[in-house]
Amino acid sequence: MSALADQMAASLGRRKATWEMADPDGAGRAGARWMADAGVVRAVLADDPLVERVGLAAALRAVGIDVLWWPVALGRREILGLEGPGDVCGVTVPALAVAERGTLVLEASPGHGRGIDVTSRHHVALLPADRIVGTLGEALARTYAAGRPTPSAVSLVSGPSRSSDIEKISTLGAHGSLTEHVVIIR
Amino acid sequence: MSSRRRRAPGGVTYDDVTGTLRERTLTALRDPGLAANLRSAGTAWAEQREVMDRDYGFNEMRDRARDIRRANIRALPALLTQLQHRVRENGGTVVRAADAAEACRYIVGLARARGVGMVAKSKSMATEEIKLNDALEDAGLEVVETDLGEWILQLAHEHPTHIIAPAIHLNKEEVAALFRAESNGDVPDDREGLVAHARMRLREKFAQAEMGISGVNLAVAATGTVCIVENEGNIRLVTSQPRIHVAVMGMERVVADWDEAAHILQVLPMAAIGYDAANYVNLISGPRREGEADGPEEFHLVIVDGGRGALRGSEFEEALSCIRCGACLYSCPMWRNVGGQTYGSPYSGPIGAVITPLLEGPSSPGSRDLPFMSSVCGACGDACPVGIPLQDLLVKARARSRSPATTKAGWAFRLWSLLWRRGLTYRLTIVGWRLGLRIRGRGGWVHRLPGPGRAWTSVRDLPSRWPPRR
Repeated sequence: MSALADQMAASLGRRKATWEMADPDGAGRAGARWMADAGVVRAVLADDPLVERVGLAAALRAVGIDVLWWPVALGRREILGLEGPGDVCGVTVPALAVAERGTLVLEASPGHGRGIDVTSRHHVALLPADRIVGTLGEALARTYAAGRPTPSAVSLVSGPSRSSDIEKISTLGAHGSLTEHVVIIR
Repeated sequence: MSSRRRRAPGGVTYDDVTGTLRERTLTALRDPGLAANLRSAGTAWAEQREVMDRDYGFNEMRDRARDIRRANIRALPALLTQLQHRVRENGGTVVRAADAAEACRYIVGLARARGVGMVAKSKSMATEEIKLNDALEDAGLEVVETDLGEWILQLAHEHPTHIIAPAIHLNKEEVAALFRAESNGDVPDDREGLVAHARMRLREKFAQAEMGISGVNLAVAATGTVCIVENEGNIRLVTSQPRIHVAVMGMERVVADWDEAAHILQVLPMAAIGYDAANYVNLISGPRREGEADGPEEFHLVIVDGGRGALRGSEFEEALSCIRCGACLYSCPMWRNVGGQTYGSPYSGPIGAVITPLLEGPSSPGSRDLPFMSSVCGACGDACPVGIPLQDLLVKARARSRSPATTKAGWAFRLWSLLWRRGLTYRLTIVGWRLGLRIRGRGGWVHRLPGPGRAWTSVRDLPSRWPPRR
């Protein structure tokens, strides 16, 4: 278990994502601290029981960050950051993660929008360590296992958004999030 | 926003290309900036590919990728039927289009019926091939390319030069000038600033677009899922923000199940950019479900034949295995010197030289000379992650080409073949050549040959004896 978590952390480093390990009761505070340091003023949280369990919403309010739960009652312009505060952080709860590649597996559902991470400038993922598997093949086999309902959309996320379209030099923050921070929960 | 320039009706190639292939090649060769850009891109790609083989045994992964794709093409009709059923079960609509016109007609008709005014597009070779942007703009729709490189090209009214990295021939000053013209305002000069500027300009478009159009890297028959690979995040926005999502795929881009998909999805970025994962892979199995707050209300999958079906069972069947990674482009010494625009087709490089004339027919003036854009060195076949013997297909494509360049000189090749089929006449021609070179040579070298040999010696000398003198 911890070998996979360590491999995941190393892979995230390669992907230009940041990470930290936290205990279940410290994960909410850890996420809130990271967001406060990044200058986040509003967080859009996936409506997943884990977010409440680690106490993220309370920790965010304690540091003065505005909390919205998915689905948000905002217009498309505000969701895209064209109106309202720019420093928004999307908080996701990956269904699985791939240690070998540093990939998060995000499943769309009523509580978890397809675009939570890419519409926001920042992205924080709350990842329970027991959801980390070794390879992409294992992750996809579980996601699309026979008998399990196929999710309407699944996003494999491996690091913050980037583009190499100008002079072949990798530049972060093209369309999706400029940062990705993963709180691995022991 | 004005449209990208137009293409010949019914063809894959662009009709605004000027001059002959030879003239375009010479123009490209005289552009020192282009050569430097292409070569550094090719070198960086080759270095990263070495890393992939060292760290992941990429060369062994290719064998399995080849086997998967060969089997997919053999089972194509059944896989497409299954894909169609599953997408419909997931609440999507599937359309099989025999050709470009049929595909465009459907998409334009859908846009009209739904009152769409603006379309946000992500990069897709299939939509380039069927000239979808032209069809949409002719119908009065605004089309915005949202991939950064493609948007830059749309502003520059240029065609892409590479399957994966479309604008690699422009530097940041040129990009800044285009952005300034588009926004009529101040634009930063540095790369980070330019990317941030494009991000906000294009978000304005995402906020308005009623339809998103994407390509498809791979479709998984077992669950009716399309996989779209990207680094920027624009494809996720294209497929989640607008009310309607239309995905356009070439009919050959299907795999059976997730075991196969997992392998190809890993091989693709390794082959394309030499990295072990793309930033985003979007796996879409239909429109939003009940209770979901984002994602399109409608999902349409357009599967285009466009001449592909006829290649099954032909000597070119292996070309259908292609996963459009662009590795053969980077590996090709021709492409690395002249770039993609010289080819005049959305598909450039070795794979483009093979498939463009196959999709257009052997007599098409726009593409019949393309199979000759190769030294047949075999670097493309070595680079291909799905083991397409591109050098063999290039030779077969030459034989099939109805180009005046080959048909006019046909008698000469027939005579040559006649002479070299017998030992005696073969030896006689060799002796004749040796004598001729000795007579013509000065100081061990022939500087100029007469007749058809003149073009060859215009840039090189030929030794008059072997081994040559230094």
